[in-house]
Amino acid sequence: MQELTAQPAPQPKRIYKSNSELKKRLWRNKWLYVMLTPGVLYFIIFKYLPMYGLIIAFQDYKPYQGITGSDWVGMKHFSRLFTEPDFLNILVNTLILFGLNILIYFPIPIILALMLNELRGTFFKRTFQTLFYLPHFMSWVIVVSISFVMVTMDGGIVNELLAYFGFEKINFLLNPSWFRPMYIIQVIWREAGWGTIIYLAAIAAIDPGLYEAARMDGAGRLRQVWHITLPAIRGVIITLFILKIGSVLDLGFEHVYLLLNSMNREVAEIIDTYVYTAGLRQGQFSYSTAIGFFKSIVGLIMVMTVNKISKKMGEEGVY
Amino acid sequence: MKKKSFTMLLTALLAFSTLLAGCGGNNNQASSETASGESTAKPVETEAPKEEVKAGPTEIKIMLPLNTTETPPDRIKIELEKLTNTKLTYQFYPADTYEEKLNSSFATGSLPQVTYLKNQTTFIQMKDAIKDGQFWEIGPLLSEFPNLSKLKPEILNNTKVDGKLYTLYIGRPLARQGIIYRKDWADKLGLKAPANVDELLAMAKAFTEQDPDGNGKKDTTGIIDRNELTYGAFKTVSSWFGTPNTWGEVDGKLAPDFTFPQYIDTMDFFKKARDGGYMNQDFAATSKTDAVNMFTSGKGGLYIGGSMQDIDSLNKDTIKNFPDAVLDTHSMVAGPGGKFAQWMIPGYNNVVLFPKSAVKDEAELKKILAFFDQMMTPEVANLMYWGVEGVHYTVEDGKAKPGDDKELIEREVKGFKDSVIGEYETNGMYQSYNVLPGRIHAEELVLENVKVGVPDPTAAMDSPTYTEKGVELQQIITDATYKYIYGQIDKAGFEKEVENWKSRGGAKIIEEYNALYKK
Repeated sequence: MQELTAQPAPQPKRIYKSNSELKKRLWRNKWLYVMLTPGVLYFIIFKYLPMYGLIIAFQDYKPYQGITGSDWVGMKHFSRLFTEPDFLNILVNTLILFGLNILIYFPIPIILALMLNELRGTFFKRTFQTLFYLPHFMSWVIVVSISFVMVTMDGGIVNELLAYFGFEKINFLLNPSWFRPMYIIQVIWREAGWGTIIYLAAIAAIDPGLYEAARMDGAGRLRQVWHITLPAIRGVIITLFILKIGSVLDLGFEHVYLLLNSMNREVAEIIDTYVYTAGLRQGQFSYSTAIGFFKSIVGLIMVMTVNKISKKMGEEGVY
Repeated sequence: MKKKSFTMLLTALLAFSTLLAGCGGNNNQASSETASGESTAKPVETEAPKEEVKAGPTEIKIMLPLNTTETPPDRIKIELEKLTNTKLTYQFYPADTYEEKLNSSFATGSLPQVTYLKNQTTFIQMKDAIKDGQFWEIGPLLSEFPNLSKLKPEILNNTKVDGKLYTLYIGRPLARQGIIYRKDWADKLGLKAPANVDELLAMAKAFTEQDPDGNGKKDTTGIIDRNELTYGAFKTVSSWFGTPNTWGEVDGKLAPDFTFPQYIDTMDFFKKARDGGYMNQDFAATSKTDAVNMFTSGKGGLYIGGSMQDIDSLNKDTIKNFPDAVLDTHSMVAGPGGKFAQWMIPGYNNVVLFPKSAVKDEAELKKILAFFDQMMTPEVANLMYWGVEGVHYTVEDGKAKPGDDKELIEREVKGFKDSVIGEYETNGMYQSYNVLPGRIHAEELVLENVKVGVPDPTAAMDSPTYTEKGVELQQIITDATYKYIYGQIDKAGFEKEVENWKSRGGAKIIEEYNALYKK
């Protein structure tokens, strides 16, 4: 991610003949560098310095002794992680939820954005867009509580309706096979509208002349979407896709943790919740740091791979 | 085209910052434990006025869990400082996430001089660090303090680590759990308080099926339980069935409670209750707040397991909804063999630790202990437990009667109430003057409970494996228990999970406890 810190600064391509010329250049652009400083400091202080803490993944960290005084144990915590009987299960759960995110959730904002774009009349467009993205501002606690009230077997409206129409009541909250559908429905409900923002911005930048030309050639609405809108936002889609991949093992801890209970643990325990339980609730600092470390590395590798692939395919990639 | 790539750059930047914000959350899992704990650790600190006093009141920082939603105002604190010649800084953190705060402050070495834990479980987790010498041992110093040395030795003994005392305890009655139920419903259906477990099930059934609220609809449930096996209904009912308290003896050897047949009987009881619809179906996902709400909104008639003294608050909220409701308490429920039993806690619900990272030397430790010594005088204990006389309570018959403004008491006093060391026998504070018949009954039952109380034989024992993974392993059993009650696994499946527990460290825990047990 170092590239990002450098991105706002113009990269001088010339090699300077003398020190004085470089100084002159620096001086001339001094305000650019001044403006750059807060950003660089931010990344150094909040993103790079904390990485020092990762050291404790290789130690038996004891707070009283601190990082310098704790014993080194090499890869002990990593090997514990990989040999833990639950680990495979947790990894699989994480990957399945991630897969659901990519396959089901990811296309929805795109479709939604295309649909919104087809609405004529700014008033409707704005109103619907606002309605769609409002749920984003509700915390997961609220989203999960609302679903709890709706689907509980003790008088929840969904189950009451099922019973009214003569169906059997369904144990949504505690049945492991309902965990994933509940999860993804809640993600869509809360995030889909918000996800459309970037796509709508990209769509807004498309040259209206293209549509006009297409209409002259007799293209209908669907044709226009297929041949103009979609190709025009392809770059954005790919960028967002790569970024999504980067957060491969990062599924919103709070959300899953709230849905997790004794009955659905076998499908609902993911790396994030495991880190929380092992690290913060049970105080195994080194172990949970090791897990977090593992997760970050997987994320990094995934981003780099997908980025490479997309560049090979002639797209822009994220860096 | 140029326009397009500019938009692209913007969107990419926007998305990038989102990603980084996201990354921050987990890349820094380590760092939030190591570096930023200090900065996030002070949302509700109440700072003492910064004036220097020559006599030099002792400055003490105290961290403790808060069971209300708001940080209490300084009223009690100011009185407290006057009485004890101290300058106190209270750091209140919500009890719900207290473990998290405790562990992150601990990991960053930023625990204050006085650190309250949350309950026995957090105490077990701290044991490793205690053995490591990260907290002050206070045992040898106690005799220097006239009031602290009154603390009950048998309870102090239960809080020792490797035979040494590091903590002061917050006393609680040994066995205060039982049933809080709708007496008006029972009266209407002609039912008496259940004398044994069969009658209990029958009552739950009647409350479900015979329309006790008389609205003509089948919209009531018998038992209201929550997602908690220990402090919910399960453990209490299981003790009625005769299951030992956490560990029990078979053939002269200790074994965990879930290996006893009575444990299975208890699971069968709950399975029957749930299958029949006599308890809330989603209890494994129901929080305490939801459970209490269901009870007070008239959806259920039996609230089991929590402290019977909670009847005060349950009653307050229930009669808001149903002015005619009558609540009562009950705890003497005989098991299938006709025998009475109640599980007991080790006499404390929380302890205080003194981290070496914050308390520099023994002189400072003694100053802090002197504050706690004063806390165990009637004057200070009453102030912290009951509030200001005439404002929060009045004295009647030598007992404290809480004032009518319950919200005020909750806001100003509750935060301090939960931190009083000892119990009324040792710190001399007023007992409570009760008006509510159910509460008076509860106080009688608390004393009755102890007579048939079953202690946890391992309370004062120390198993290294249990300290390391006991809590983690217990999850296997907890999950299996719920699965059995919900019918996902049968007895064989449950026993398989017990074997799983043993193979992952449980066998070693059994071994370690038995080695100590023989001594």
